[in-house]
Amino acid sequence: MKHILLCDDDVTILRAVEIKLTRAGYRVTCCGDGQAAYDSIQRELPDMIISDCQMPRLGGLELVRKLRSEEATCLVPFLMLTGKGFELPLEDLRRDYAVLDVMAKPFSPREILHIVETTLTASVT
Amino acid sequence: MTLLRQLTLGFFLLAIGVTCGTGWLALRAAEQHGAVTFAAIVAGITLGAATWQMFVVERDRREHLAARRFLEHLLRYGEPGCGAAVSLDTLPAITAGSVWEEPLKKTFDYFSSFQDRRLMLENARAAADIRLQRLTSQVEWMESVLSNLGDPVLAVNAYDEIILANRDAESLLRLRPMVTDKRRLPPIVGCERLTNMIHEVRRRTSATLRHEELELEDATGHKRWYRASAGKLPLANDVSQDSGAVLVLRDITTQRSMQKQHAEFVSSASHEMKAPLAGIKAYVELLADGDAADEAEREEFLGVINGQADRLQRLIDNLLNIARIEAGVVKVSKQSRSINEILVEAAQVAQPAAEAKHITLVSDLSPLYLGALVDRDMLLQAAINLLSNAVKYTPDGGRVTLRSRLADQELLIEVEDTGVGLSEEDCRLIFEKFYRVDKDKNMAAGTGLGLALAKHIAEDVHGGKLTVRSKLGVGSTFSISIPHVARTN
Repeated sequence: MKHILLCDDDVTILRAVEIKLTRAGYRVTCCGDGQAAYDSIQRELPDMIISDCQMPRLGGLELVRKLRSEEATCLVPFLMLTGKGFELPLEDLRRDYAVLDVMAKPFSPREILHIVETTLTASVT
Repeated sequence: MTLLRQLTLGFFLLAIGVTCGTGWLALRAAEQHGAVTFAAIVAGITLGAATWQMFVVERDRREHLAARRFLEHLLRYGEPGCGAAVSLDTLPAITAGSVWEEPLKKTFDYFSSFQDRRLMLENARAAADIRLQRLTSQVEWMESVLSNLGDPVLAVNAYDEIILANRDAESLLRLRPMVTDKRRLPPIVGCERLTNMIHEVRRRTSATLRHEELELEDATGHKRWYRASAGKLPLANDVSQDSGAVLVLRDITTQRSMQKQHAEFVSSASHEMKAPLAGIKAYVELLADGDAADEAEREEFLGVINGQADRLQRLIDNLLNIARIEAGVVKVSKQSRSINEILVEAAQVAQPAAEAKHITLVSDLSPLYLGALVDRDMLLQAAINLLSNAVKYTPDGGRVTLRSRLADQELLIEVEDTGVGLSEEDCRLIFEKFYRVDKDKNMAAGTGLGLALAKHIAEDVHGGKLTVRSKLGVGSTFSISIPHVARTN
C-alpha cells in the first residue's frame, strides 16, 4: 500500500483529502505543520508528499527546500497546495525543487487523487 | 569783447579817420582853389557813408546777438528736463532775409526732430521698463511657483544644457554645483532612464508626454518612487523642431505603498475566503462521489459544509463592517447607555461556547451605573469579539473574566483569560487585519478580523482605546477604555 504524507494546518482540508485518498486505497499520514511533516518523514519515508504552503512553524516552501537538500528525500514527489493566487512562482518551484504542481485552493480532492495516481503509477513503471 | 565787435569798432574808427582825412584834404584844396562848396559836399557824403556803415555794423551785431541767444535757448531746450519751449516765434527778432535766417531755421528743425525723437525714445524706454518690471515679476512668480511645487522640474534646451531646474530637482538630481557650468544632461542627471526619456521626447514630432515610474534615491539617501513625465518644449508654431524638453517628477511612494497595502489586503481577504470555500468544495465533492462511508459520515460532511459556509459569512460580514467604518460610511447611532447592560448581553452570547469548553465565564461588573455615549450594537459586537476570542484561545477548563470599572474619567471594559497568551510581537500585530498567531491557528477557526473590527469600534467610533497586556502561557487581558458620561437624571 502506497504511503502518502499529507500536511495542512487546516484540519477541514486535511480530513477531506485524507478521506479521498484512504477510500482510494492509500495509506495516509496527516500532519498539521511543516515541522511535524519533516519529523514524520525522518521516521518513515513516504511515497509522495502533499503539503500546504502557508503553515505555522515550517511552511511548505521551507519544507520542500529542506527535503530537496537531503539525499534520502530529494526525489520524493511533492505536490504543493496553496491558498495564495499569484504569489507562488510555479516554474521556479518545478525547476528548483522538482515540485509536481501547485494547486490553488479551492481545489478538487478528485483532482488530487488523479495526480497521486498518475504520479505513483508512473514511478512504479 | 568778441573779435567781431573789435573788428567792427576798428573798421568804424578807420572809416571816421579816412572821412576826416578826406575832409581836411578837401578844405585845403578849397582854400587853395576856392571850391568851398565842393569840399563841404564831399565832407557830407563821407560823413553819410560813415554813418550808414555804422548802422549796418550795428544791425549785424544785433542779429548776431539774437541768433546767439536763440541758439543758447535751443541748446538749453535740448537738455533733458529743461522744460523751456522754443518756437519759431522767437525768430522774427532776426530780420527777414538775414544770413542767419536759413541756418537758424534749419537748426531749429533739426532740434525739433531731435526733440521728437528723444520724446519717442523716452516713451519707448518707459514702456520697456514697465515690460521688464512685469516680466521680472512674472519670472519671480514662476520661480516661486516652481520652487513651492514640491515636484522636481527640469528643462533642457536642444543642446542638452539644463536651462531650468527648481530647488527640488537640484536636490533630487544633485544639480546645484553643475547648473551654472551648463553641463550636459547625461552626467548631471546620472539616471539613464530619465536621460533616455528626455532624448526620446525631443525626437518626437508632436508635443506628447511620456510617463515612466522609477525609483530614485532622494537627498537623504532614501529610495523613493517617482512618476516621471517628459514633454517636448513648444517652440513658436513649429513643434517638429527640437527645442528641448521639460521633465516633471512626482513622488508616488505613498501612492505605491497604498497600492501595495491594498493588493496585500485583497490577497489576504481572498486567501481567507478560499479556505472555507475549499472546505465546502471538497466536502460537496466527497458527498457527490459517495465517499461517505455511512450516514454518520454524511452528516459529518454536511456539518463541515455548513460550518465553513458560516465561517465565510462571518468573514464577509466582518470585512464589510471594517470597510464601512474605514470609509466613514457606517451609520453610528450613539446614545447614553449603561455599559453594564451591554456587557451582560455580550456575556450571554459567549456563554454557550464557554460552557462547551468547560470554561468559567465570570462577570465582574461594577456596581456603579457606568454611562457612556455609545452605539449599542457596535459596542456589543466589540465585546462579543473579545469574549469569543478569549474563549477560543483558552484551553478547556480555563477561566474568562469580563470586568467593568470606572477609572478617572474613563470607563474600562476588560476581558481577561487564562489562555495561551501572546508574545510581544504578537501583541504588536494582533490588531492588524488578517493577522493570526500561527501557533494558535489550529485552536479555533477565525478570520483574523475580529480584533481589527473591535479596535475600529473602540477607537474610531467611540474615541476610546483598545489595548492588550499578555504573557505567553499565562493569559491575556484586552481593555477597552471609553470616555465616561455622568448620568443626568
